[in-house]
Amino acid sequence: MTQYSTAGTDVAVRAGARTRLDRARLFVWLQTIGIVILVAVILATPGFLSGPSILALLTTVSFIGCVAIGMTLITISGNIMSFALGATVGVTAMVFILAANWLGFGAGLLVGVIFGSLLTGLQGLLIGSVRANPIIISIAALALIYGVTQVFSEKGTIYADQGTVPALAKGKIAGVPIEFVVFLVSAVIAQFILSATRFGRNLFMVGSSFRAAEAVGVSTWRTITGAYLWAGFFTSLAGIMLAIRYDSANMDYGVAYDYDAIAAVLVGGTAIGGGSGSALRTFAGAMVIAAVQVMLLLKGLRQEWQYLAAGLIVLAVIVLQARGSGR
Amino acid sequence: MQEVLSVWGVSKAYPGVTALEDVSFSLRRGEIRALCGENGAGKSTLVEILMGLVAPDRGSIAVNGQTQVMRSPQQAQGLGLGLVAQELSLAPHLSILDNIWLGSAEVPLLHRRAKFRLRAQQALATLGLADWDLNRPVGSLTIAQRQLIEIARLLARDARVLILDEPTATLSDADIDRILGILRGLRAQGRSIIYVTHRLGEVFELCDSVTVLRNGTHVTTGPVSEITRAQLVELMLGRSFNDMYPKAAARADRGARMIVNDLRVSSAVHNFSMVAPRGCIVCIAGQIGSGANMVTRALAGLIPSATGNVMVDGRPMRLGSVPHCVGRNVLFIPDDRAAEGLFPQLTVLDNLVASRLDAGVRMGVLSWRELRRIGGSLAQLVGVDRNRLTSQSITLSGGNQQKLLFGRALASTQPGVLLMNEPTRGIDVGARAEIYRIMQELCELGAALVMTSSDLEEVVGIADIVITLYRGRVVARYQGDDIAMASILADITHPMQSVA
Repeated sequence: MTQYSTAGTDVAVRAGARTRLDRARLFVWLQTIGIVILVAVILATPGFLSGPSILALLTTVSFIGCVAIGMTLITISGNIMSFALGATVGVTAMVFILAANWLGFGAGLLVGVIFGSLLTGLQGLLIGSVRANPIIISIAALALIYGVTQVFSEKGTIYADQGTVPALAKGKIAGVPIEFVVFLVSAVIAQFILSATRFGRNLFMVGSSFRAAEAVGVSTWRTITGAYLWAGFFTSLAGIMLAIRYDSANMDYGVAYDYDAIAAVLVGGTAIGGGSGSALRTFAGAMVIAAVQVMLLLKGLRQEWQYLAAGLIVLAVIVLQARGSGR
Repeated sequence: MQEVLSVWGVSKAYPGVTALEDVSFSLRRGEIRALCGENGAGKSTLVEILMGLVAPDRGSIAVNGQTQVMRSPQQAQGLGLGLVAQELSLAPHLSILDNIWLGSAEVPLLHRRAKFRLRAQQALATLGLADWDLNRPVGSLTIAQRQLIEIARLLARDARVLILDEPTATLSDADIDRILGILRGLRAQGRSIIYVTHRLGEVFELCDSVTVLRNGTHVTTGPVSEITRAQLVELMLGRSFNDMYPKAAARADRGARMIVNDLRVSSAVHNFSMVAPRGCIVCIAGQIGSGANMVTRALAGLIPSATGNVMVDGRPMRLGSVPHCVGRNVLFIPDDRAAEGLFPQLTVLDNLVASRLDAGVRMGVLSWRELRRIGGSLAQLVGVDRNRLTSQSITLSGGNQQKLLFGRALASTQPGVLLMNEPTRGIDVGARAEIYRIMQELCELGAALVMTSSDLEEVVGIADIVITLYRGRVVARYQGDDIAMASILADITHPMQSVA
């Protein structure tokens, strides 16, 4: 047999070439195109660039955003997501109102934050120490939270006593709603925890490879419990801010927040499998999600459409992430 | 001579790297060809091109004299090429029969028909395994037995060219002999085999000819009978290679660093005792299932149920808690890099400083400057490019990944105890020599090294003390000149033991 290599073969071979690198590039392109289209549609929506709707956007995004910041820590820790954070928002709002009515505003804040942190931290302890399935634990917690609150509050909504919430807490700082300032500061704090603390490093290690983290001596249960404690902390901020804004609390407050939050986390580029991600990017992700929701509202579409949009976004990002990693 | 497979001028480049450059070779009917080269030499790329997993930039492939453009693994399979990859691809919960036909294009929806049963049975019979129950779940088989199922899978599809990628990397010596025997049988039937391996012993024991790749180029192809072991190593490295196993100079301080008494792991290790002196390498030799790797895992704190008295530097150490063991400067390098060693998404730097964050932490806050400095010096120490500190660790070659794990262990401020399972598994000769050098340096610093290895040549070459293990019990201990391959082999295989 003689040695030969025809040009025709070469071309055919080249045409068939499709490597993982091509796929990764495709992923980045699709993401960029998606965001460009999104921004274009949003800006083209009449009324979007008006003062009231921007203010509405900044306020709405803050509630979901704080939950998303908390969710980021859970996702990075390798535990995918929690379905109980939305319910935690509602129950923390209730606990805050009760405590504030009874003990005063400042003590109410403290009780609310501690309650939310511990409630979620406890789930983390279960997940970290006995390696219980995080999704199942969060669903069980969700059911428990709803069940218990049903028993204790027959009427649904509880209201703050007159004068409990100081007007200052509903104000603006330099024209920016106070909620948004809290959200921004939360993102910065979370980013600091992630990239500049020992706990943050441990969190990335546990999320990247649980067994390897164990083998280098990271206390895995403490790290996971810590992630959930912080997640509860940031989530409780959302609940308290909602309660302050409406002078009342209701279990409906956090409905579907977990879903919007995970959408924000994923749009921000945090890997669903854990081990990589950033709170600042979740901040950006939350802005995108909220912009979509405000746009849908402005277009006169009902709440159901917002759920649909969040669902579609999560689905698209998950599929793109899987394609991007070549799996 | 009939050529079943020919490769002409195949090249493949990835952004920034040339994986293969103008590689040609051909394979005859009934020939076993060793494919040798360091990590990154292009062996995997060549295999992927042959199997249609990757398309070459240039060059062509002919099967039985007909030029083919491999577009998919299915096409390669249809042409009679079959691959047993390094990581086994069996579904543990499915039966042997299901696994044999898994993913086959020719099988209709229902493969349990008599015809397919019969062909699976025949494939097993070819391997001398006619008595195996096809309904048995694969999960109940040993690793060596699963390896045979992988081969049976190729035979059932009537593969004429079998490509085996490091098939013996995870096997013990007795199992390897069994597999080599079976491969010789397949050669006698006129099948051809491409045998990718780092184990030079198997090249000379099994193969007819050898192809050496280096940096993506073809170095040589020739009969095994015309080459010596030293020449082969030189061809692979591209430089002379005189001292694979550096023998340590006599060290003054050989006081005990770790003393283990009556270590027990339920149903795996019984009454294990040893003394690991400073500056010495203790090798625990045993086949798979001997419990050797359980000893190191238990000492690393990874087995909660382990019991025993362990003293490190004269103070007792509690078992069952990794943080506690790490705190006593007892560090562990696992054999399963992918699952237990590496943090794949994290950077090289993150991986290097993983167990030594304390050095760069003040009140829980990291000093990245300090960590970068530590990471940089560690990278230099273990021979990893400092410019790659910010790369994701998964992008490194296997040898470099293993160096990262050693770097992690070196990060310790004072020498302690380093436990290693199969430290050189799946690593090319060049990186291997590097790893031995690092181990030697650790010894000179006064660390005590405890390792397990199923590579007897390595055990004899590197160890100062050898403890042989059979079914969880110590058979014998050897030291210095008493260490000999024959007695170790006899100890660890003890009563006759076979795969089936």
